[in-house]
Amino acid sequence: MLMLAAALGGLVAPAVARAQTERLAGRLDERTRAAVTALVDSARAAGLPADPLVNKALEGASKGADGARIAAAVRALAGDLARTRAALGRTATEAELVAGAAALRAGATPAFLERLRGDYPREPLVVPLAVMADLVARGVPADTAARSVLALVRTGMREAELVAFRQSVERDVALGAPAGAAAAVRVNAAERDFATTQAGQQPSSAPPRPRKP
Amino acid sequence: MHGSADDPLIARVAAELRRPVPLRPDFDARVMAAVHRAIPSLPVRAWTWLREPRVVAVSPIGVLAMAAGLAGILLVGAVSREPGAGSREPIAESREPMAAASVTFVLVAPQARSVALAGDFNDWDASRVLMRREASGLWTVDVPLTPGRYRYVFVVDGRRFVADPAAPRAVGDDFGTPTSVVTVGGGALRAAEGSL
Amino acid sequence: MVEGDSDGVLVRRVLDGDTEAFGGLLARHRERGLRFATAMLGDAAEAEEAVQDAFVRAYRSLRTCRESERFGAWFLRILVNRCRTRGAMRRRSERVFVYDEAALERAAARPAGDPGWREEIDRALARLDALQREAFLLKHVEGLEYEEMARLTGARIPALKMRVKRACDHLRVLLREVDDARIR
Repeated sequence: MLMLAAALGGLVAPAVARAQTERLAGRLDERTRAAVTALVDSARAAGLPADPLVNKALEGASKGADGARIAAAVRALAGDLARTRAALGRTATEAELVAGAAALRAGATPAFLERLRGDYPREPLVVPLAVMADLVARGVPADTAARSVLALVRTGMREAELVAFRQSVERDVALGAPAGAAAAVRVNAAERDFATTQAGQQPSSAPPRPRKP
Repeated sequence: MHGSADDPLIARVAAELRRPVPLRPDFDARVMAAVHRAIPSLPVRAWTWLREPRVVAVSPIGVLAMAAGLAGILLVGAVSREPGAGSREPIAESREPMAAASVTFVLVAPQARSVALAGDFNDWDASRVLMRREASGLWTVDVPLTPGRYRYVFVVDGRRFVADPAAPRAVGDDFGTPTSVVTVGGGALRAAEGSL
Repeated sequence: MVEGDSDGVLVRRVLDGDTEAFGGLLARHRERGLRFATAMLGDAAEAEEAVQDAFVRAYRSLRTCRESERFGAWFLRILVNRCRTRGAMRRRSERVFVYDEAALERAAARPAGDPGWREEIDRALARLDALQREAFLLKHVEGLEYEEMARLTGARIPALKMRVKRACDHLRVLLREVDDARIR
């Protein structure tokens, strides 16, 4: 279900609009192509970017999915993009919308997106959103992943460190740790150290004892 | 050792630190693979330590060797702020241009006759990006990507879809085919609310 | 046969187009690089990435290696810089030692040695200022002369001596108790 909001960013020159959906030519049967084009046009009218939707259709085409499934996937993505845009605001970039949609699909709430945007109005959110979704893909429960990203961003971590955090969790999981615990241990340590450095002390060098499952 | 002979504790510490550190068995292979690629330097500053996806051996029956921590996320430009700075002081006003990072996709598939890459960045057209085979069954290709999140798969022998064993999985409908995702970070600061 | 060729010979061969010869330099210098990077960064996987990165950079800028017989020293300089860059990007809070079976397994994989002792040392090293840690490792573990360290780091010898002294003092304080308990 698409939000038909005022299309502030949705005005696209006709030539560009045609070019975007022309990518579908020869890849989908006519009926599916018509359905997807209609979905893309509605989305564009609502101020959403067309390319991610066209990519989704092409993904389905490339994988040999049937038309109904492709249309359903495009519709679902359009909904995710719309909810993301509502949460992140009109000035969200296409990359942020795509990453935000992935986060929502991974189980993040719109409130999480709003918090992130509220805390960091001017910085690109692609990486924090992506890290949230990737953590979930690795097995971290969605609420833990969302809380972790928010907490870490609040301790001052930015892109490189968020990625390092995600890599650390992946390593721990690859070595046998439960994903949620791995994330929680590292976030707790980061928050504790942040708190102690804020208070002017040295962070403790004692390692946190992992809780046995 | 200079000075440490005077202090047995320091000497013991140094001796312990001189012990060899265990190496992953594919360490040499990975470095030589990167050396062979001789990737040209990026047009903008990039945090190169996050550039390459790790090589993970994919045996003929597709069993995963160790999928330890992989990039999956690359960063481009935008070095105007200091990582780790806790405060939210205003960031430099100048916007970084949306420049592309060269992303290297790698799959170890010694039995394959061809490996192609299909994803959001090439209209999911497997015929467009054929990967190059190197020694020991390593297939690679470099793709320039602007900041964003991209889904992709490898297409082996024109028909078999293989997710990247060393990358995060995509979320959402993957049409029944496990799909990988790569995220390129960096990019411009946003305009103030109210403008486009 | 690569083992017999000196670094100088290997460098010249690589520059002449024999890329595979770089493998010989890799084999000869990777252990020491890993040893330094692991102690410096406190994380084995990060250290591997740093060393890998350093080798690739070394390959790309091999032409600028002025004394080809001293590839090792030149490479170490690149590695020191890689570690500095990574160290600056990671917050100290990231250096969390997760003690689980896997970590113990990794420690056990080292030939002999005492895993507990190494972990205490790692923790103590993590408490040091980065430049002190670096100077300590270059001096006491890699065994460099101060002149060499000055060339490598760009710092002056008196400053380097001070860093090493402070590192040793600090390590003594941090490890004395642990060491006493071990010896007993």
